[in-house]
Amino acid sequence: MLNVNNLMVFYENALAVNDLSFEIKQGEIIGLFGSNSAGKTTILNTLSGLTHHLKVREQRKGGTRITISGSINYLDADIMSLKPRDRVELGIILCRERHPVFRDNTVEENLKLGGYLRKAQEIKESLQFVYELFPPLIKLRKNKAGMLSGGEKEMVAIGMSLVAKPKLLLMDEPLLGLSPHMQAEVVRATLEIRKHGVTVMMSEQYARPIMPIIDRGYIIENGTLVMTGTGTELMDNPEVKSAYFGT
Amino acid sequence: MVTNFLIYGLVNSAILMLSAIGFSLTFGLSGVANFAHGAMYLTAGFIAWMLINYLGLSPLVAMLLTVVLMGILGALIYRIILMPVRGIVLSEVISTFALGVALIEFFRWKGFTSFDFSLPPFVKGSIEIFGVTIDYQRLIIIGIALIIALFLWYFTHYTNTGLALRGMAQDEYTALSIGIESDWAAMLSLGLGAALASVAAVAILPLGIISINLGYEIFLIALAVSVLGGLESTLGLFVGSLILGYAMVIASTYLGPQWGQVVYLGAIVIVLAIKPSGLFGKYKELEERV
Repeated sequence: MLNVNNLMVFYENALAVNDLSFEIKQGEIIGLFGSNSAGKTTILNTLSGLTHHLKVREQRKGGTRITISGSINYLDADIMSLKPRDRVELGIILCRERHPVFRDNTVEENLKLGGYLRKAQEIKESLQFVYELFPPLIKLRKNKAGMLSGGEKEMVAIGMSLVAKPKLLLMDEPLLGLSPHMQAEVVRATLEIRKHGVTVMMSEQYARPIMPIIDRGYIIENGTLVMTGTGTELMDNPEVKSAYFGT
Repeated sequence: MVTNFLIYGLVNSAILMLSAIGFSLTFGLSGVANFAHGAMYLTAGFIAWMLINYLGLSPLVAMLLTVVLMGILGALIYRIILMPVRGIVLSEVISTFALGVALIEFFRWKGFTSFDFSLPPFVKGSIEIFGVTIDYQRLIIIGIALIIALFLWYFTHYTNTGLALRGMAQDEYTALSIGIESDWAAMLSLGLGAALASVAAVAILPLGIISINLGYEIFLIALAVSVLGGLESTLGLFVGSLILGYAMVIASTYLGPQWGQVVYLGAIVIVLAIKPSGLFGKYKELEERV
């Protein structure tokens, strides 16, 4: 579904992603692991086009501060130079880190905005799906999203991404700052989302909660891919264990 | 006397609100402080005047056409002047300020300075309300201010486009990641702001002549109302207009007409000194820290 080859991303002179190649197959759940500043967010932003957007803006100001090289092929098409909007239309949806929501809008307005590029009828169906996936949101429909708890915001953020109709859903640290109960909820929802034909890539620092559900995982250090394997393979590796699972 | 004060204070408040709403909307939606706002107002006045006097269009048609043309001009200004410096706040301010001065002084240079330049009122005549004589145009201004406020509230809360613009204003990257385009959003908000400046122009200018210095004055009024009420706050825009509107009437009645202007300029200084975020402004930094 997605093939990334020799991807490099520079911010000014800092190398954020170093010669990265990986693939995602249809229907997989892929884990992307690494510590703070390992490059996880940059990788997901580059896949969703946000890095490209920043690069274009910097270029307009007259500098080439951001450099992206290599290739990203999605469903057999080169998407390296597509705008975020075009990638959304192709079904690549990013759910950003720290559960971002539009704080001044209600929960339902947030969810509907997720379907900004879609027809009203399709949005309705997706809303239905989101409410079935996260029943607590039904009661919160009219509440301002800014007033919600972290877990509730995460449900809204994931819901918003789902209303955008992803084929490939990129989740950036969805478990960060959530209670163990909420983490389990997000993990359950992720499996449910996959059942509906969505391929998922999720990044995390702390890998344990999602390790059981991933098909394969990539471990990133300083922008470089250092290890890859199935969930079990990574779990059994002693180095990985100490670095990403806690003791 | 009291009714006179109440009614003319309300008219003045409506005038201030209409004058400021384009500036406030553009800033709220795209974060661009359009220092050419007053120049847009002035340009709209002259365009309407030219459409009526050179092309012989009926006033109503000319005014509607002016609003549309100015909307397009606003969008073009974003596309040509602001897009390259997007995100550098100081450059945005400098380029809109330079554009504003250039437009205003262009009209001065071309001799748009006589008393011939004025727009016709929508309806001539006046009416007596509670013993106060008031012309229809001033009542129409209050009506237009209300209609515009309602329209904008509906637009930003119930339409797809309006919600998308608000989304972009709140969180650019999240908006981008669901397919809203930031340049499109900013272009639209500049266009809307310019269109609203011209609605204000065609409604308010019939009360007097189109004087060049209005280009500066209207911008200062917009700044005063927005700073007092709090930038980005719709409620603040209302309350700011009402406070300044009545304060100006009080000052010019009791201290003399020239004091009206002192009020709004003084308000900018006082508000910035005491509560820089304005009456209803939000301390975003604080929210983010929490």
